Amino acid sequence: MTTPIFRNLARIPALAALALLAPTLHATGGKIVIKAGRIITQSGPDIQNGVIVIENGRITSVGADTKAPWDAEVLDHPELVAFPGFVEAHTSRGMDRSNENITVTPFLDVRDSIDPISFYFEDSLRAGITTINVQHGNSCVIGAQGMIVKPFGITIEQLQVRPQSGIKIVASPRPGASRALQAQQLRGAFADLRRYLEKLVQDTKDGKDTARREALFQGRDMDKDENKTGRAMEGNANWKLKGFEIVPRGEVDDKQEPLLRAVEGKLPVFLYCDSAASVLLGIDVARENGLLGTTTLVLDGDSWKAADQIAAAKLSVILSPELVYSERDPVTGKEVRTFVPGVFDKKGVHFALQSLNQSSQSLWFQAATCVAWGLDRKKALDAVTRVPAEELRLGKRVGSLEAGKDGNVLLLNGDPLSVKSSVQYVVLEGDLVYDRSKDVRVRQLIEGVEQNNTAPSGAVEPGDVCGDEHKEVGGDPTKKDPGEKKDETKPDHDHGGKKD
Amino acid sequence: MNLSLLAFLVCVPQSAPQVQTQGDAPRKNWIVSAERVYTGAGRSIEHGTVGVQGAKIGLVSNGSEDSGADVLACYAVTAGMIDASVRIDAGLSSVEQSREETPELRVTDTLSPFADAWDGQAASGVTCVLANPPDENVIGGLGAVLKTAGPLSIAERTVKADAVLRGAIGSQPSRRNHPASGRPTDFFSRRPTTRMGVEWEWRRSFYEAAASRKDASRAYIGSTQVLAALDGKLTLNIQAWTTQDIRTAVFLKEELEGEPQLGGKPRLVIDAAAEAWKEPQLLVRSKSDVVLPPFPADGRTDDGAFMAWNTAALLVSSGVRIALSAHGDSSPAGSLGMQAGYAMQGGLDFEQALAAVTTNPARMLGVEDRVGSIEVGKDADLVLWNGEPFQATSRVIGVIVDGALVLDPRAKE
Repeated sequence: MTTPIFRNLARIPALAALALLAPTLHATGGKIVIKAGRIITQSGPDIQNGVIVIENGRITSVGADTKAPWDAEVLDHPELVAFPGFVEAHTSRGMDRSNENITVTPFLDVRDSIDPISFYFEDSLRAGITTINVQHGNSCVIGAQGMIVKPFGITIEQLQVRPQSGIKIVASPRPGASRALQAQQLRGAFADLRRYLEKLVQDTKDGKDTARREALFQGRDMDKDENKTGRAMEGNANWKLKGFEIVPRGEVDDKQEPLLRAVEGKLPVFLYCDSAASVLLGIDVARENGLLGTTTLVLDGDSWKAADQIAAAKLSVILSPELVYSERDPVTGKEVRTFVPGVFDKKGVHFALQSLNQSSQSLWFQAATCVAWGLDRKKALDAVTRVPAEELRLGKRVGSLEAGKDGNVLLLNGDPLSVKSSVQYVVLEGDLVYDRSKDVRVRQLIEGVEQNNTAPSGAVEPGDVCGDEHKEVGGDPTKKDPGEKKDETKPDHDHGGKKD
Repeated sequence: MNLSLLAFLVCVPQSAPQVQTQGDAPRKNWIVSAERVYTGAGRSIEHGTVGVQGAKIGLVSNGSEDSGADVLACYAVTAGMIDASVRIDAGLSSVEQSREETPELRVTDTLSPFADAWDGQAASGVTCVLANPPDENVIGGLGAVLKTAGPLSIAERTVKADAVLRGAIGSQPSRRNHPASGRPTDFFSRRPTTRMGVEWEWRRSFYEAAASRKDASRAYIGSTQVLAALDGKLTLNIQAWTTQDIRTAVFLKEELEGEPQLGGKPRLVIDAAAEAWKEPQLLVRSKSDVVLPPFPADGRTDDGAFMAWNTAALLVSSGVRIALSAHGDSSPAGSLGMQAGYAMQGGLDFEQALAAVTTNPARMLGVEDRVGSIEVGKDADLVLWNGEPFQATSRVIGVIVDGALVLDPRAKE
């Protein structure tokens, strides 16, 4: 029974099985009803045996006695715990390369670098992270514009939650630069912008049309209202630009425009600081250029030592993945450990956490570590849901389970902070996009054994005989579940990699 | 308060002068009062007390005590954790390069009690470790079981000197060596340069040592130690990450046992056996113990080995005795306590996870009479937790080593 005909016949039951499974992992028009033994809403008290109704991708109701629409698919799991999807406040993962080799690149956009089929997004989904702010790396002066994405989809459009979510500014020396050079270049970038804009005003006054011709050359429609009209510079920068209203906005060069938008308070800033010293520089530059109101600090190293200054500037922060800072007392030689979130908690600064890695130490682990070090459990959970949502200006959309918010729901087989728990299902904007029981690669991570159906589609496996349904299902290119897609590109175990 | 606790308190005056001063940590009599006492000796006590008398455990009882100057309160107490592969050593500077096998060298001669790493170990709840020579030589030398805190003297911290004969199978012993081809051979060219060569050196060492029983002229420097390992008087501790290297180690053991001219009875612990999950029956058959490396987030470990998340659970259910290791990492995410948590994530139950970081390594190292469990008469090595041990939401808040308070749960951090 190894002729092609028989082999294809053997596929029939497999395909039938596939057809039955398919709806659970396909778009359901964003309509789904989730019944869980316990709902941790993050917006009020927990609900025992509650129901979450999602329609058109948005939560319409959460409660114990909510009625489900008759035509909705029901995910009925009284043994599981529902929790809002985690929110990754800042990462440079998921990109092809995260640092451009030029120091000032506000005109670039990470959307051109994000790789939707990167393992990072698959890992994030498995860890229950449903909202991710992807930003340019920290080896720059002014980086590209970032993007908020969800970890499901093949194209960048499918991933997109919000484009141009912010811009990376770095106040600590990038590799190869001294602190002084970095500071000078950072201030210099804004001075360049200012000089450029002043020249633009002067040129307009002088009747030069170079900028206009350049704009037309770049393909901008100068007849559009937003392009042909000028307006005074907005925002809170300490420097003012006289007469800028006479410059049609469309004449501002693409290379400078995003930084101007940041100065005008229209593009959020993610300001990276690796030390307390860079925090001071960063706050100084942000204040000078009117960025304070739109800046979120991304911290590392001993930045927490500037917690007072951060609190005084009313900034919110995204903390280093290393939650416990360790240093040695130079006199006694004793190791001194500082629990960084505790410092900011005491100062009343809002803080979000970052994943330590994209696998087993993701956001749940970071929140759990905070609890271990004495932080209130509610605050720890907020630091991976509500606070990052606010920092990303998505507070009305994600971070908790309540009516009106995006239908991003995790179902876990226990408390979200227990080592024994894992994410069983992920519902993303009302679509069931992850089912752990169908996650081929998680089985490989757990059991080590390479699964049968991980070969590229079309490949004939040695044991590929009639009746072996699992293999047939997996080899079928029509199956579109997320784990499947990745597994086709999955590299083998790197057994031979480092051998001599 | 029950009678035995009362008796203990009466016998041991609370204001007794310090029994002994150890480093800068005063050794006194402590009462550890916990909601959960996980003794590791077959029972767990709810609301229990552990009395520390000098350097030993003087009492384990029901009933808790929450007042008094020397009472240390916590959610849970376990025995001090034991890392059977701590990998604190003097680095490459302690690798003797004149020979590929240096079985007679002692790791204790290269260790410094002043090294910062010990503090981190003790603070993360690891009170006892097996320190081994680096694995750049095929047979590195003699490992020792040490406490991680105490007097500033390696000798005084030693629980068991010459505890194991340490060596490595795999790429590491040959990695830095270079062959005669490709580069001009010089005085420093070292052998072996392949896994084959490493295996040959192992077998040659044993065959030569065995021959020296009858012919003293066959003896070489270190053959006494190799002979002791062959005869089972010294545990053989071999690093082998991958399946092929684990096989080599097991087959070596079986050859030592089966070959008439060797007549060996070796005891084998395979360290860093990341791929032990592939053939657990091989480890059962050869009665080898296993020390697992830290759980990698993506499954990838050294030497190209892949370690599945259920490795610990699978080996235990197959009947293999395992110990977990953090390889010297004392950070919140990498510590030995968290490794036990990751093993639980992979399906191990709590009692087995506890055994894998306490009693199992104690037995593998032959120090179970002193450490590994909370029993009267054993060393007062205790770890105090602020929640359920090994959960990510808990951490070590107090540590006692040989009765000395190394990390004070009452201190504000």
